[in-house]
Amino acid sequence: MIRSLFTIFAIVLLGVVFATIAVSYSEQQSLRPLAESYVQLVPRDLGAANVVTGILLTYRAFDTLGEVAVLFMVAASAGLILGTRQRRPEERGEPAQEAARPSSEIVQTGSQILAPLISIFAAYIIMNGHLSAGGGFQGGAVIASCVLLILLTYPEHRINVEFLSITESLAGALFVLTGIVGLIAAGGFLDSHILPLGQFGAFFSAGAIPILSALLGVKVGCELSVILDRFRPQP
Amino acid sequence: MISNIVLTTGLLLILIGLWGVLTHRNILRIIIGFSLFGTGTHIVIVAIGYVTNGTAPILDRTLSLSEASSRVVDPIPSALVVTAIVIGMAVTAIMLAYTIRLYDSKKTLSIDALMESKW
Amino acid sequence: MTELVGSILILAGAVFHFSAGLGMLRMPDAYARMQAGTKATTLGNTLLLAGLAFYHPGWSLKLLIIAYFVLTTNPVSSHALARAAHSIGIPMFGGSGIDTLRDRDQKLRSET
Repeated sequence: MIRSLFTIFAIVLLGVVFATIAVSYSEQQSLRPLAESYVQLVPRDLGAANVVTGILLTYRAFDTLGEVAVLFMVAASAGLILGTRQRRPEERGEPAQEAARPSSEIVQTGSQILAPLISIFAAYIIMNGHLSAGGGFQGGAVIASCVLLILLTYPEHRINVEFLSITESLAGALFVLTGIVGLIAAGGFLDSHILPLGQFGAFFSAGAIPILSALLGVKVGCELSVILDRFRPQP
Repeated sequence: MISNIVLTTGLLLILIGLWGVLTHRNILRIIIGFSLFGTGTHIVIVAIGYVTNGTAPILDRTLSLSEASSRVVDPIPSALVVTAIVIGMAVTAIMLAYTIRLYDSKKTLSIDALMESKW
Repeated sequence: MTELVGSILILAGAVFHFSAGLGMLRMPDAYARMQAGTKATTLGNTLLLAGLAFYHPGWSLKLLIIAYFVLTTNPVSSHALARAAHSIGIPMFGGSGIDTLRDRDQKLRSET
């Protein structure tokens, strides 16, 4: 009783605060000074057509590095929390599982059509990070969804977790190494001027941003796949 | 006008997510409430960055460099939200892992089984 | 004129989406809810994309590819969900009580 009253009180109070915000908000008419300076700087200084990716991978690159660290921590935590379960359901006190029914023909055919298309789409998103909407994180998430499709369709399929872990760690280490090269050869840590800017809008342009995008995409994709594999029932 | 509608939608989602977290007893529904909460916050952040009659901050043949700063929306909230979405998904994964271990030890998905550390 | 046709198609798509939501709230058991959610939303998506093609004729090929993806993924995923729901034993709502999947599984299990 007290709990539901407290809940209603909290929701109503928060609702009043939010209503005040929503009613008195007026749309921006022009860009704020910091945003305007970013929109001017990214095409000229970095040569990237996508302003958001340019901000994420150069001016705010520390946030991206922190996020890479957070993702690695999550993969390790998922391995820690779920890796020490008793292997077979009998030891956990649950009834023994009968063999899983294999997936039907419709699902298998559908996934055979879709898995290559999803992989190509993921590669396209990663490679186009600096030219059009896209980027490393988005492409990595799509790769993980392709792996999830395969895991759902073929439940007995074993994925090579050691290979994925090694790939993910290598990608993360290369990301930091590229940043250190930026310290030596260009303006600072994770500066993208270590490679030539190239022609605006071409594929090989915007300095080191395509390389950083690709490394991010590989790292995020492998990481999410490892996390997904942890959630499967151990046979 | 547009950003007011999107802002109201985001704030409503935050309220609904908070209500879901505080009311339900099933752990999985509490996790869905947290996910709604996060999505609402992301929508609010993106809605604040909208400039009237602005377009996406991507320079291609329809948006040249000279008119860029007068016609694009704010790119900074979008960049922040990209990071926030990935971290929200990672936190949801950890919450689900905890749910699996809690179910292993208590054999139930109700949060009333975990009340022994109540203050 | 083309904008009018496009708007009518988009309105029809929205009506189908609304009916999908209504069906998911009001159907008696899980399988009927999945059916309402899949069929109506797939058709609603296709009509919406067709209406959009009238507004922007230059996008027709891209919209056709998107419609192809929707038609490929939506029914397959609903099929997988329904089979999973049946295998963990979600009960059907009264009615006729004919369950060919359970009969086929029993026959397979009694044969092996």
